[in-house]
Amino acid sequence: MMKPPRHRPLKNLHAEAALFRARALQGFVMIAAALLLLAGWYFRLQVLQHAEYSSRAEANRIKQRPIVPARGLIYDRNGKLLADNVQAWRLEITADEVPDLKNTLARLGQIIPLSDDDLSTFEKLRHATRGFRAVPLKLGLSEAEVARFAIDRHLYPGVDVAPYLTRRYPYGDLFAHVLGYVGRVDADDVTRMGDTRYAVLSQLGKSGLERYYEERLRGQIGYDQIETNVDGKPLRVLSRNPAKPGADLRLSIDADLQRTLVVAFGKYDGAAVVVDPRNGEVLAMVSLPAFDPNLFINGISHADYDGLINNVSKPLFNRVLVGGTLPGSTIKPFVGLAGLESGVRKASDRTLSTGEFHIPGQKRGYRDAEAGGAGWVDLRMSIAHSVNTYYYKLAMDMGIDRFDDYMRRYGFGQKTGIDLSGESVGVVPSPEWKRKRFKQDWFLGETIIAGIGQGYWIVTPLQLTQGTAALAADGIRHQLHLVRETRDGFNLPWVAQPQPPGQPISTNRDNLAAVREGMIAVTQIGTAKAIGLHAQYLIAGKTGTAQRVGRKGNVSMDPRALPVNLRHQSLFIAYAPANNPTIAIAVVVEHGGYGATAAAPIARTVLDAWLLKRTPEQVAADLAHAPPSAVQDVPDDETPALVPLPSVNPPAPVVDPAQRRPSP
Amino acid sequence: MNVPTRWLRGLGTRFADTIDIPLLVALLAVMTISLVVLHSAGDSSMALVYAQGARYAAGFGAMFVFAQIPPSKLRIWTPWLFMATLGLLLLVPLIGTGQSARSWINLGVFYLQPSELLKLTVPMMVAWYLHSEPLPPGWKTLAVCMAIIGVPSALIVIQPAFGTGVLVAASGVFVIFLAGLAWWRIGLFAGMGAAAAPILWFFVLHDFQKARIFNFLDPERDPQGTGWNILQSQIAVGSGGLFGKGWGHGTQAHLNFLPEHTTDFIFAVLSEEFGWIGVCTLLALYLFIVGRCLWIAASARETYARLLAGALAMTFFVYAMVNGGMVSGLLPVVGVPMPLLSYGGTSAVSLLAGFGIVMSVYAHRRFMGT
Repeated sequence: MMKPPRHRPLKNLHAEAALFRARALQGFVMIAAALLLLAGWYFRLQVLQHAEYSSRAEANRIKQRPIVPARGLIYDRNGKLLADNVQAWRLEITADEVPDLKNTLARLGQIIPLSDDDLSTFEKLRHATRGFRAVPLKLGLSEAEVARFAIDRHLYPGVDVAPYLTRRYPYGDLFAHVLGYVGRVDADDVTRMGDTRYAVLSQLGKSGLERYYEERLRGQIGYDQIETNVDGKPLRVLSRNPAKPGADLRLSIDADLQRTLVVAFGKYDGAAVVVDPRNGEVLAMVSLPAFDPNLFINGISHADYDGLINNVSKPLFNRVLVGGTLPGSTIKPFVGLAGLESGVRKASDRTLSTGEFHIPGQKRGYRDAEAGGAGWVDLRMSIAHSVNTYYYKLAMDMGIDRFDDYMRRYGFGQKTGIDLSGESVGVVPSPEWKRKRFKQDWFLGETIIAGIGQGYWIVTPLQLTQGTAALAADGIRHQLHLVRETRDGFNLPWVAQPQPPGQPISTNRDNLAAVREGMIAVTQIGTAKAIGLHAQYLIAGKTGTAQRVGRKGNVSMDPRALPVNLRHQSLFIAYAPANNPTIAIAVVVEHGGYGATAAAPIARTVLDAWLLKRTPEQVAADLAHAPPSAVQDVPDDETPALVPLPSVNPPAPVVDPAQRRPSP
Repeated sequence: MNVPTRWLRGLGTRFADTIDIPLLVALLAVMTISLVVLHSAGDSSMALVYAQGARYAAGFGAMFVFAQIPPSKLRIWTPWLFMATLGLLLLVPLIGTGQSARSWINLGVFYLQPSELLKLTVPMMVAWYLHSEPLPPGWKTLAVCMAIIGVPSALIVIQPAFGTGVLVAASGVFVIFLAGLAWWRIGLFAGMGAAAAPILWFFVLHDFQKARIFNFLDPERDPQGTGWNILQSQIAVGSGGLFGKGWGHGTQAHLNFLPEHTTDFIFAVLSEEFGWIGVCTLLALYLFIVGRCLWIAASARETYARLLAGALAMTFFVYAMVNGGMVSGLLPVVGVPMPLLSYGGTSAVSLLAGFGIVMSVYAHRRFMGT
């Protein structure tokens, strides 16, 4: 195998060995240097940058699994459960684990019906959150749907049926405008809350108390720190950060009284608020017609929603909170008090009612209800018989600025601050307001009609109730509120919800007493004497009518034939027992008749129920025997025909938040 | 004394005579570390440990056998061995199997990777050729060497197994280096290599190989996709810290974030669980092994033995360097296992056979070759 040694220079073996030794040494030095470099590089990674890589390794292996807390329960003042939670099933998708989302959704739609709303809500929510989080696709699955999916589950990686707690309102529509409702969490909610973890919640308060107390009711989402492998499969729980359950609410509302109030309304639409004047606790609060909040919980169907929206009586519209109305004659006790407080009138001062009032030097007349007038009347009689002329002249003598100051002091033109969001401010007629709204100057005639609660006035049932309660409570205006107590866990004590101290609207007992006497006279000899009959306690009240369109003759028309903003409203405010009031009420009935006709009997029924402790069933039986039509239709304070109403439409269009399409 | 006992005693004597104890101890130390890390990387099951232990045993058998062959005899066989392995390599495209590259031949009992054998036979062949040539080598000698190295390397690169091809070429080039090739010629070749790099890029490398280089340059480019391996491996290494997370506590490996954590990326497991201290320990052992082999090579009296032993030592270093660099993101990912650490048979057996040759050089250092 050796090559021929010819022509070959001789090999110098010693020199070759020496050369090799040199090269081996050089090679070894280079190798040592290279390994040193490698060790240095590892030093950089492992020691200098250790913290960074360490946290990345942690982030790699640790995932957070959210724990959804149970939503707080809502009770009435006697512990009746008004909103609770029940187990339900939902379909959810973890987008990162789905190979072909479009295809998966299409196939899913074939076994479980998915509405366009479901799909669009899911799509938006998915983009607002992170792909590794499960996002609900459809809530409230039926048992059949759950079973159907279970069969094919293996065909849908990343899709799961998960249990959750869903809201239930056992009383249906009875507390619709008090509790509001929860609805599906949508992309906007997640963005607003600024934490994609909220996508795991199924539901969120969308209106009413559910919305106002959302943060307390929701509690705090907890999470398990879970070690996962590369596929995200949980291996073990490293640490627990338990969820904090939502706080329970105990309302001042009395479920029985609420039911009585609805029974008392009978066939009428309208609104009413009942409070305890001594502390501002709301005992009952209705806006009729109402709706079933259970419809909204898992996303309302198109058919249901269209039915609610197209209903001419607007069941979603919260008349108590945002329903503005002319106060009509119910404002007179307040105007009368303002006259005494401002010193413009004394209680005994008399005004001559001739049937028609003229501003000196003007031809236009402002009518009284009674042709020919009521003669000389003082404050008490002016309230009892709702004599317009007394208030025309009083308003003119006070002047609109002073008038406004007092009306605002009584709580009109500002929010009551009740624990519900979206409350209307209302309008106290004033030159500034008119300038801003219509860019027009103020006329004296507008001051005159403001005195009888007509013109630009807008009050909410809440404001009327609050003012009435203040008259009842010796001039102290208490903060109206629905939530009485809260507790942070079922085993923890109830804690009273703190309320601001009452604000005095008047400290002059004589003035307040004079107004009270007038209001008592209303139910004894005045416009609402029918409801004072046979009462076992003394009622202080005042009737009123808010008329939006001219009435043809005295024909009562079906209020449901008119849009809400054009309906006549029959009003009544009252408190009882007049000498030691424990209940105050304002009733607004959408009706063609006078205040005393529709609203006053409703108030009487409620006062009886509360003060005489009658159950809704007893009240219903009573009403069947003596229907409210037994009360005579007495004209009390029809708006003078001469008065040009500001407009057929209400001056300030009332924005109804409930009219916005809620996301299902 | 009966026959078996005598045979055994003879074997013992031969063992003592032919085996270099310091080198053996260092190799055993590395293999012990390998089995310890494998136990952890294999989810604390002994299955991998037994399997790899068996391979090491086979490798020791090969080492012992090679240690018995005098270098002079091996030199005479060299051309035939070279031809045989080259022939196997040529068979690979015809009957070979493999996932990304066709580099394996099914021998029925086990799979054989002919390219691994060439890591031994190429330096043997170059050393064989240079043995009879005057050194330092001239241009003509160099040209022949290039042919001996180039043909098998090119065949391996087109398999495609770029990393192995480069390592086979390197094992041959080290022989030339140790033969004393003038520095200016080395410089010239380095320059030519750099100039040829673009040709390599455009005509030789496959897309997946280019992607590996891109990922090496910027692993964050696609952290969920192709850059995943580098990134997760770096996280494993970096999170190990100075002292490591402890044996069996490497989260990256145990939760499957680390790819190939028993084979090519086992060094990352060691880094994660034993930290920088563990890394330095292993690198120190490697340096000792290389140094000891070069020492043995320098003591050889025969050019062939000297060049071969030295080249094998330096090739061993290159494996460690390339794998260590790749696992930590210092070098691109090439399919090179960590020598005597990664799980796998062919590499371990061929490496230990190589050390057998070195042992043989040690044993025959006092004899002049023919």
